[in-house]
Amino acid sequence: MAFNSLKYILAQGLVSLKRNVWLSLASILTVAISLILLGSSIIFLANATTIAKTFESQVQIAVFLDDNLDDGQVAAIQNRIKNLPGIESVTLTTKEQALWDFQESMNTTSLLEDLGGINPFPDKITIIATDPNLVKDIASQVEKIPGVENVRYGQGFLEKLLAFTNWLRWIGMAVVAVFALIALLLISLSIKTNVNSREKEIQIMRLVGASNSFVRWPFIIEGLVIGLLGGLIAVAAVGFAYNWLLQYIISSLAFIPVVANQEFIIMVFLIMVLGGMLMGALASMISVRKFLCF
Amino acid sequence: MIKLRNVSKIYPNGARALIGVNLDIAKGEFVFIVGPSGAGKSTLIKLLYREEIATRGQVFINNINLVRLKNRQVPALRRNMGVIFQDFKLLPNKTVFENVAFALQVIAKDKKEIKEKTLSVLDLVGLSKKANAFPAQLSGGEQQRVCIARALVNRPELLIADEPTGNLDIDTAWGIVEILDRINKYGTTVVMATHALHIVEQMNKRVVRVEGGRIVEDRAEEEVRIGI
Repeated sequence: MAFNSLKYILAQGLVSLKRNVWLSLASILTVAISLILLGSSIIFLANATTIAKTFESQVQIAVFLDDNLDDGQVAAIQNRIKNLPGIESVTLTTKEQALWDFQESMNTTSLLEDLGGINPFPDKITIIATDPNLVKDIASQVEKIPGVENVRYGQGFLEKLLAFTNWLRWIGMAVVAVFALIALLLISLSIKTNVNSREKEIQIMRLVGASNSFVRWPFIIEGLVIGLLGGLIAVAAVGFAYNWLLQYIISSLAFIPVVANQEFIIMVFLIMVLGGMLMGALASMISVRKFLCF
Repeated sequence: MIKLRNVSKIYPNGARALIGVNLDIAKGEFVFIVGPSGAGKSTLIKLLYREEIATRGQVFINNINLVRLKNRQVPALRRNMGVIFQDFKLLPNKTVFENVAFALQVIAKDKKEIKEKTLSVLDLVGLSKKANAFPAQLSGGEQQRVCIARALVNRPELLIADEPTGNLDIDTAWGIVEILDRINKYGTTVVMATHALHIVEQMNKRVVRVEGGRIVEDRAEEEVRIGI
């Protein structure tokens, strides 16, 4: 393409933004609102996932061992558990340690004497699974190991927890999907209106022999700029709102785990701006195309 | 220059706009296409600048077959012709100068050339003084002259006019036709569809009459002169 055309196309994309200032402004705001919805929903999903993960990470399996095992046998059981699939970590709490911990928590030094010299605590192995969905399976396998007396993992509660965290994840994803769709619809509708309002201009361009790319590019550039400006407004809005919300939660609802990771937030902002630009350009391209089929 | 061979046009809704039309127009001719509304005049005109494609038959312009022309070759075709309309089709937010220059920007001319050519064609249609006016500030006749200037600024060999005087009063219409006649005398082929029989009768040009999608009469220039 000739340099004259390139210059003209670039200028034209920006000039038409200025000339149709109200329509452009309406498009930019529509894009901004759509992206605010999308960005918020992504942040919501991330937080829902984090909350689910935090809850799930608190699921442990406690394995209580027979009383008459020697250190070698305990180590052997520990090894067998370690070799099971889906094990994240295995920690041994000996009966001596358990007694000591309990004594500490009771704020006394004479617990053993008080109990008549008999340590009532068994050796305990704490297992954390890589995936809470495996907990039930692991527990039933561990139960079969000789020397294991008892296995506890919050039976009954675990199923409810998993149902809840799965539901949380699905809701998060559904919200993102729905808002992404809404954003796509709003942005393409708004850009379509913008392009349609200039049907006459396109018609005349074609009439005087403008090539398709010559007609198309100013609109694509306009779409990109609308997406960029809308995206920046959305990033500012979401940025401020989330920052405020984070501070509020951290100071007064500290038990809720939140995502305050800088990299994640920058990534969301990038998705918003680039997504806006991409949708703007694509919507322009599609809207213009219907006028270009000779 | 223009050659139609057994051309039929049937629209997707089944309307038969043209049936078996044959027509030859030589370079430098001035031809009126006349006929009642819905006779097929507009369809005939649209086939010439390939806004429509013939359903059957062949349409040639300078030996290029428009029926076989690929979409991406259409812009090049249109750069060699000018088209004007009843409703002018000017861009309201561009000045007269910009409206005319638009046709040159589209084909990537440099600024200096655009300015020279635009001013010279505005002079030709008598609108040099209105170069900075906007279309809304002009009369209908002046707007049509802007439209003619835009059609001519590329120096096309062929000028196609679809009811160019349809929205104008008689005196203004004559002004437009006189400009077209002058352009034709410089060598541009002019094809003009019109309802304005008073103009056609007084102009002594070739007249092609279309009725019910067929050419029912094709009077050459001389015969008209003898008739009068």
